Amino acid sequence: MKNRLKVQRAIHELTQADLAEKIGVTRQSINAIEKGKYVHSTVLALKIAKLFNESVENIFTLEDKD
Amino acid sequence: METNYLLPNKFKKLGWVLFGLGLIGGIFIYATIGLTDKFLKVKVLSVYDNQLFGDSSFFKIVENGIFDELVSVFIIVGGFLVGFTKEKIEDEFIYKLRKDSLVWVLIVNYSILLVAILFVYDMTFLHILFFNMFTTLVFFVIRFSVLKYKYLSHEE
Repeated sequence: MKNRLKVQRAIHELTQADLAEKIGVTRQSINAIEKGKYVHSTVLALKIAKLFNESVENIFTLEDKD
Repeated sequence: METNYLLPNKFKKLGWVLFGLGLIGGIFIYATIGLTDKFLKVKVLSVYDNQLFGDSSFFKIVENGIFDELVSVFIIVGGFLVGFTKEKIEDEFIYKLRKDSLVWVLIVNYSILLVAILFVYDMTFLHILFFNMFTTLVFFVIRFSVLKYKYLSHEE
């Protein structure tokens, strides 16, 4: 799964720590998600999308290998 | 993240203290073989004792230096408190790291034991067994801490 989390963060001028705090997760989570090392839960995807006011598909997309 | 087996975060500090004291005590016991048996001699309940040259007994009060028992309890209780208390922020990723650490430690610990069973004999093997009582927890705590640190980015 690919994500545009880093881009969205840049648009909203948020650091990883800011984003983590806003959605109530650890900085480790955001870091791992951005590096593509962790596929998070649907709940977290929805929370992130809601925060950025985007649809989930605009931030997270499937890759060929998925 | 909903978990039903994690204690509140406030117990983590206590866990580190017990764990640290236990490990130091353990090293002390190992470095001064026999000496600590003379410490803290108290009467204890021995549920079952099978003497090598003698009768076996059930539920007997015996005198025993409890230093090693205390050290073992400290390491086990401390290790559990460190590994199984909530983080300050407990989320699904931390939960995954904890589970990954448990799987990792089970594989690593038993791999080491397997090698020891095949290639280490006599008293040396007993020493390995002695360590093996605690390495599961010790390796788990180390692995979990390393993983948490590894994913803590320092960018920005």
